[in-house]
Amino acid sequence: MSWLLPALVAVPALGALVPLVWPRAEADRVAPAVGVAVSGAAFVVSLVVAAAAWGRDGMRLESEAAWIPSLDVFWRVGVDGVSLPLVLLTTLLTLLCMVSLLRGGGPECGGERNLVATLLLLETGVLGTFVALDLVLFFLFFEVVLIPMWFVIAVWGDRHDAAGRRRAATVFLLLTVIGSALMLVGFLLVHAETGTFDLLVLAERGGLGMSAQTQLFAALAIGLGLAVKAPMWPLHIWLPDAHAKAPTVGSVLLAGVLLKMGTYGFVRVWLPVVPDGARQLAPYLACLAAVGIVYGSLACLAQSDFKRLVAYSSVGHMGFVLLGIASMTPVGVNGALVANIAHGLITGLLFFLAGALKDRYDSAELTVIGRGLYARSPRLAVFLAVAAFASLGLPGLAGFWGEMLALLGAFDPAEGLPRVTFLVCMVVGGVGAVLTAAYFVHVVRRICQGEPASPGTEATSVELAVWAPLLVLTVLLGVVPGVLLAVTDPAVQTLLGGGR
Amino acid sequence: MNPAWVIALPAVGALVVLGLGTRAATGWVGAAFGLVTWLAGLWVALPYVGSAESERHVLGEMATGVAPIEVALTVDGLAALLVLLATTVAFLVLLYSVSYLRDEPRRATYTALVLLFTTAMATVVLADDLFVLLVGWEVMGACSYFLIGHYWERPDARAGAVKAFLLTRLGDIGFLFGIFVLGTATGSWSIGAANESAASGAMSTSQATVAMLLVLCGVVGKSAQFPLHTWLPDAMPGPTPISALIHAATMVAAGVYLVARLDDVMAASPVARSVLAVIAAVTMLGAALFAVAQDDLKRVLAWSTVSQLAYMFAALAVGGYAAGVYHLLSHGAFKALLFLAAGSVAHAIGTTAMTEMGGLRRALPVTFWTMTVGFAALAGLPPVVGFFSKDAVLGVVSEEAFQHASWQGWLLLVSGLLTVVVTAAYSIRAWLLVFCGEARGARPQHEAPWSMRAPLVLLALASLAGGVLVLTPDLVDPLGRTEGELVHPVLAAVTTVVLLVTLLLTYAEWWRVDGLDPAERFGPTRRLLHRELGFDRAYDLGIALPTWALARTVVATDRDVVEPYVRGAGTGARWLGLGLRWLQRGNVQVYVTAVVAGGLLLGLGAGWLVP
Repeated sequence: MSWLLPALVAVPALGALVPLVWPRAEADRVAPAVGVAVSGAAFVVSLVVAAAAWGRDGMRLESEAAWIPSLDVFWRVGVDGVSLPLVLLTTLLTLLCMVSLLRGGGPECGGERNLVATLLLLETGVLGTFVALDLVLFFLFFEVVLIPMWFVIAVWGDRHDAAGRRRAATVFLLLTVIGSALMLVGFLLVHAETGTFDLLVLAERGGLGMSAQTQLFAALAIGLGLAVKAPMWPLHIWLPDAHAKAPTVGSVLLAGVLLKMGTYGFVRVWLPVVPDGARQLAPYLACLAAVGIVYGSLACLAQSDFKRLVAYSSVGHMGFVLLGIASMTPVGVNGALVANIAHGLITGLLFFLAGALKDRYDSAELTVIGRGLYARSPRLAVFLAVAAFASLGLPGLAGFWGEMLALLGAFDPAEGLPRVTFLVCMVVGGVGAVLTAAYFVHVVRRICQGEPASPGTEATSVELAVWAPLLVLTVLLGVVPGVLLAVTDPAVQTLLGGGR
Repeated sequence: MNPAWVIALPAVGALVVLGLGTRAATGWVGAAFGLVTWLAGLWVALPYVGSAESERHVLGEMATGVAPIEVALTVDGLAALLVLLATTVAFLVLLYSVSYLRDEPRRATYTALVLLFTTAMATVVLADDLFVLLVGWEVMGACSYFLIGHYWERPDARAGAVKAFLLTRLGDIGFLFGIFVLGTATGSWSIGAANESAASGAMSTSQATVAMLLVLCGVVGKSAQFPLHTWLPDAMPGPTPISALIHAATMVAAGVYLVARLDDVMAASPVARSVLAVIAAVTMLGAALFAVAQDDLKRVLAWSTVSQLAYMFAALAVGGYAAGVYHLLSHGAFKALLFLAAGSVAHAIGTTAMTEMGGLRRALPVTFWTMTVGFAALAGLPPVVGFFSKDAVLGVVSEEAFQHASWQGWLLLVSGLLTVVVTAAYSIRAWLLVFCGEARGARPQHEAPWSMRAPLVLLALASLAGGVLVLTPDLVDPLGRTEGELVHPVLAAVTTVVLLVTLLLTYAEWWRVDGLDPAERFGPTRRLLHRELGFDRAYDLGIALPTWALARTVVATDRDVVEPYVRGAGTGARWLGLGLRWLQRGNVQVYVTAVVAGGLLLGLGAGWLVP
């Protein structure tokens, strides 16, 4: 079964070639269908992976091969309870993005052939990041994602603002590349003292063999690189523009899976490989995370553009994830992982809905969309209201559990961490949760309720087919979060060395 | 039968009703599910009413990383009573709504939300685990939000919904942290474990105090007590049956239920009890005074709900478990009755403004007689149930005052007796303005149809007969948590005399002003009370406006920072090049330091370093 993960990574990469070699005249027309087929195949492979690895302790489906032995670089992959849910989320969201391109749902500027190929390449990079067990391999896949995302934003972004979308794409690229460079330095530093890039070996050693100073520097460099991606306040600055200018599929994947690469890196690399360095930095991470929660929510409150609003809400939600990680406790990290998945589903849905609104009104400005969506497009409005309530963390829907566990982690952080600092962060996070509720009910009031402004168009069957799975999963994960926690908890306990 | 059925059946009903859409049968199908849920509730609850036994059903377990969350339900005497109250009122409201919303296009979502609410309330009542309880608690809040906003074209409905949701949510964050404290103190999320731990002394007083003060935040929000009291009257633009179910009989009483449920933890913390006593004393009198000055019938009833909930908290604050629970049940019946009757009035004349009413006695005989019973219960007139339950509350408070000479007891006794006077005044004022004197507005053509009248009559009978519960105190307090009797003859005689004098004086004043509003006598004070002492304005100025200003600042900051960041990124790249040259000189430490410092500066400072 060790071929499964290489196959998972290879399917979208090879599939990306299909639209490219298709006869040029037909390529744009068939590209979305090809995209659905390829990403559907990847989704099926990921389900097989899940069937093989779900609920089993430890790393599964490992495979290893020497790649550049002279540089000590190996092809090492595997999945465990930390990565498996993210793999499934990635394949699901990519598939739904492809479905949304069907039947004229693609970009107005055309070029579906290249878009589909680019998105599939993106999927390869993300999946590779989630299954990599070698620091260099992790870094390479991490970087593979950047270029396709630059194209997605710069080419298929906001068609009213060509200069703006280029700039947004470039800022995104520049900041992440700088972050990645720092991260690589951290990896090299780890290698310089331990002599290996093997994540499993490094995690087992738990920082043994590295001086405290090296650990601190490595943790700082790796942490900064990942924090840009997550994004942590104040490194979030690339995010609102990138989201606002990106096409719908770009926003969905950016928020749904790309941000998770950062938080995943914190759990997979930062916590287990350089634990002592991480312990010194964790209070700072917690404070910045808490600031991010409140800052993101405040920015949402005064936001008039729905896409920007959802983008800023991601800053707040990722703040909860980072707070959970910073607590360095199993409960906090479990919370971070659950919040990751929940955010992927809910924010993915919100961006699809924002895209649907933008298709209809050619703008995501709340004033342009106008009031009374409940009357104008009832189905769309109900999806929007439920997604908003899921995102504000209503217990019983997916968004609650992860953020609750993250706060619980901050309530009782790992030994050696300053309790009072974390308590303050927890209270600040709680205030952020109220502000989150405030801006979402405000949005529902501004566009869903009220006298209908103009006649609207109801959701199409393709749109419903894309939204419904996300909504169903949001409700399921809200009612039985134990399904997900049963998978993440053993893996997290292992990563953190059996608890506190 | 597994109590999970009481939770599952209405949830299934909600899905079925949503599937039916706006078909004519939607309301009846909803009522049928209400009936089935009620029968399931009877089946589950009746064996435990008045019984000291309890039964725990574990449905599943959920890993967290610390103590696992056990999804468990418990039926005991208290839960059984609340299941009966919730499923009965929910069924009556669903039946009533069939006619009330006959011509409404939105009755499918309405009926589905009422059923979902029933699921959530049953979850709260049956939960053995604090997180399971919290799920039900918050889903109730969401249902309340959507139902207050049912008429979402109306600005007051939109604003009321937002306000209700945010104020309760604010309190619920405290509740969540309270759960953290309780769970960490006991190593389990079970309510039973928390009570045992507190009763056995394993939980320290300070832990109990911190936990209960935080839990009280949620309670104060949900039950609209001071200082989060302002949302309940603004929730009144919702459909009236919703006001009866959610904003009178069940959801707002869930706060009382929670305090009763955590009675042992509460008892372990004298500080928390004192805080609750002060909140109750302030709220019961303040809300009653606000009720005197209102012109809208539903708003009067809303303030009276706030005031009556404070009575229940008063009892619980001095350890009067039986009295608090008894008043919770009694209030659930008579306040649901009052709201449904108010709905019947609104159904007949199309408004809830008392300035448009008057003389409705003849046109709406059933509504008149049933609502009279309701008002008698609210005022506490013998022999209606409200008389006995209020006497039980005041009795336990006076025992605390006289026998233990505690300031909490005296505070609550004085406030409680004053509230008796004010309650009698606003009850008879509303009754006179609605049913007596000359008609001031539209004249109704007909009494409501049977599906609306039947719930009124049933609730009126329950309110008339509910007094017999005092004969069997074991029914509300099977474990014998509180000593003493439920009946206090001397006190009852005193309050009844005070009550009758107040009724007569108000009636005389109404006669004197020729059938107009007797509250006008208070002049400028009345206007101040009508504005509810300006709490809304203060919250706007003190919280809402600064938050908005801060939000706009954040948005402006982020916008102005983007440009410098782009240039800062270029600077960062140059530093990177610099670092690489150092690396070639072989000094890794220096290189790392430079890159890290560059990254930090880029992150933290570029926004204002590079103007």
